[in-house]
Amino acid sequence: MGDTSPIPLTFRLVSGVALVILLTPVLIVVLSGLNSGEYLTFPPQGLSLKWVAGFFTSPIFLPAFLFSFGLATVTTIISTILGTMAAIFLTRSRSRAREVLRGLFILPVVLPGVVLGLALYVFFAWTKLGLAGSFPGLLIGHVLVTMPFVIATVTASLVDFDLSVEDAARSLGATPLQAFTKVTLPIIQPGISAGTIFAFIVSFGQFELTLFLATPDMQPLPIAMYTSLRYAFEPTAAAAGIFAICLVTISTLVTSRLVNLKKLLRRR
Amino acid sequence: MSDIRLDQLTHSYGETRAVDNVSLSIAEGEFYSLLGPSGCGKSTTLRMIAGFVTPTSGRILIGGGDVTRLPPERRDIGIVFQNYAIFPHMSVAENIAFGLRLRKVPRAEIDTAVEGALAQVGLSGFGDRYQRNLSGGQQQRVALARVLVTKPRILLLDEPLSALDKALREEMKFWIKDLQQTLGITTIYVTHDQDEALTMSDRIGVMRAGRIEQSGTPREIYEEPASLFVTTFIGQSNVLDATYAGAEGPRAAAMVEGRALSAELSHALPRGSAAKLVIRPENVLMGPEAADRNLTQLPATVIGESYQGAMVRYRLRLGSQELVAERQNQAHLARWRPGETVTVGWDPGRARLLPAD
Ligand SMILES: Nc1ncnc2c1ncn2[C@@H]1O[C@H](COP(=O)(O)OP(=O)(O)OP(=O)(O)O)[C@@H](O)[C@H]1O
Ligand SMILES: [Mg+2]
Repeated sequence: MGDTSPIPLTFRLVSGVALVILLTPVLIVVLSGLNSGEYLTFPPQGLSLKWVAGFFTSPIFLPAFLFSFGLATVTTIISTILGTMAAIFLTRSRSRAREVLRGLFILPVVLPGVVLGLALYVFFAWTKLGLAGSFPGLLIGHVLVTMPFVIATVTASLVDFDLSVEDAARSLGATPLQAFTKVTLPIIQPGISAGTIFAFIVSFGQFELTLFLATPDMQPLPIAMYTSLRYAFEPTAAAAGIFAICLVTISTLVTSRLVNLKKLLRRR
Repeated sequence: MSDIRLDQLTHSYGETRAVDNVSLSIAEGEFYSLLGPSGCGKSTTLRMIAGFVTPTSGRILIGGGDVTRLPPERRDIGIVFQNYAIFPHMSVAENIAFGLRLRKVPRAEIDTAVEGALAQVGLSGFGDRYQRNLSGGQQQRVALARVLVTKPRILLLDEPLSALDKALREEMKFWIKDLQQTLGITTIYVTHDQDEALTMSDRIGVMRAGRIEQSGTPREIYEEPASLFVTTFIGQSNVLDATYAGAEGPRAAAMVEGRALSAELSHALPRGSAAKLVIRPENVLMGPEAADRNLTQLPATVIGESYQGAMVRYRLRLGSQELVAERQNQAHLARWRPGETVTVGWDPGRARLLPAD
């Protein structure tokens, strides 16, 4: 029997290897979090849920987790709105400023996080608006690094968007706003959803930038894990990692399921 | 009564004048075609009427009211695009209901209207389908139904058949025309296909480089072309170098290959000026057919013959110029071989003298 798969064997092998390489660290974190020993070691000395339970009673990790969750949620909402508007401008404007702006919007992901973090820190301190070490300041930083992802995914769905569809809606009686909400938005919605997932994950895991902008009473999870590992080599950090992995996985699944569900409902 | 009036309508995209001082009157219920080569400004004109493009200058009147500054949603115009622009995230029924929902028509009424519209375009039972499951011709019908269900005052069609294959195009041509006549809706039809324009239209406006070169019935456009451009763009024409030699009764005398020939004249020309004498291949008679003394007669040599089934095309040499004649392929008509000499002739009323471009 011949191989009937349209994907060559080599490709499947390569993607198999890539998957293993990508998943191994995840597996290591999960197993370390389930360690029954007193220190973060691998392989674990035995399996237990005590560090997982410890996560819930920890004075550091649970608040940090919740703070990160809140920060990522607010960041995602702002990034999605601003990023979508920016993408629409970048694909439709005929202004000369367009290419310059496109470059500026993408800059935050191109620059090393340390450079951006330092720059923002100095800028916030210099403007004396109280942004340094404040939640709004941290939020601004996170929006800057997550928005490029929204811009990229929404732009991708706008590039092959056919403007005559909007014109048709207008001619049928829709105001510009109605044409946008009833026609444009639903059509580019997959791009927006993808951008939302990216923004959430990037914000939740953001480290370098956060290092410059966070304060002791405003500790997102990555900073909390880093700090705790520097002083105590406890498996609680790995347990927190398990929860982070779960959250990211669930949010990805839920978002893509919501999108598909909507499609399913429409096609019933 | 005129339903649409364009008054010195002009639009420039930066430096390019896409539409240049177009004035036009279209009567209620009329089927008017804008015909012209690619890039001549047909779509821009249509988009100005629909309200998507703001004129640089000039006015648009619909039913006597000035709509030049009105947004598209308040013009009561239905437009069908070349790519149909079906909303991909809505079913066929939702597409058709779109305009009525915006008008806040009660649900039950919408359902009835959608059923009616689907039946009207021959797509009953297709309400639950989505765009990706429709053929080009079906999308075309949905686009029409979506527009017609809102009962617009005016229907605009931008090359609606160009994305379809030839057989379907023929079928849809007659179908659209029938539908338009049944509804009696004032229609502007944009096309670069002369056959569509000639068979469907009440009147045609031939456009070139942003201007309307001639506006008239299909017969006028074909038989009484106002310019060389019109006569060569629509159908085929022999274009012979000539010199205007002055009036000759109601007609003009033109010198062609040293002979004085008479032809229709629609433009005033200075005597002695270079001009073109144009005559359609089907009007060039040969041999016994050309024997009538009232015809313009000339000696010619056959230099080529091509068989086309119902027709035979002859390439003829006339002094230093070439001429094409198209004769019916019928048993009682003579045939000629290359190299033979033959008298060619035509009714002087079929020949026109036009200014050289
Ligand atoms: N958005 C635009 N920006 C700049 N120039 C444009 C734009 N749209 C059209 N043009 C130019 O205006 C002229 C007329 O274009 P238009 O689309 O009206 O032509 P058309 O007759 O519809 O051609 P086609 O048969 O190819 O559709 C062309 O020279 C075209 O390049
Ligand atoms: Mg066009």
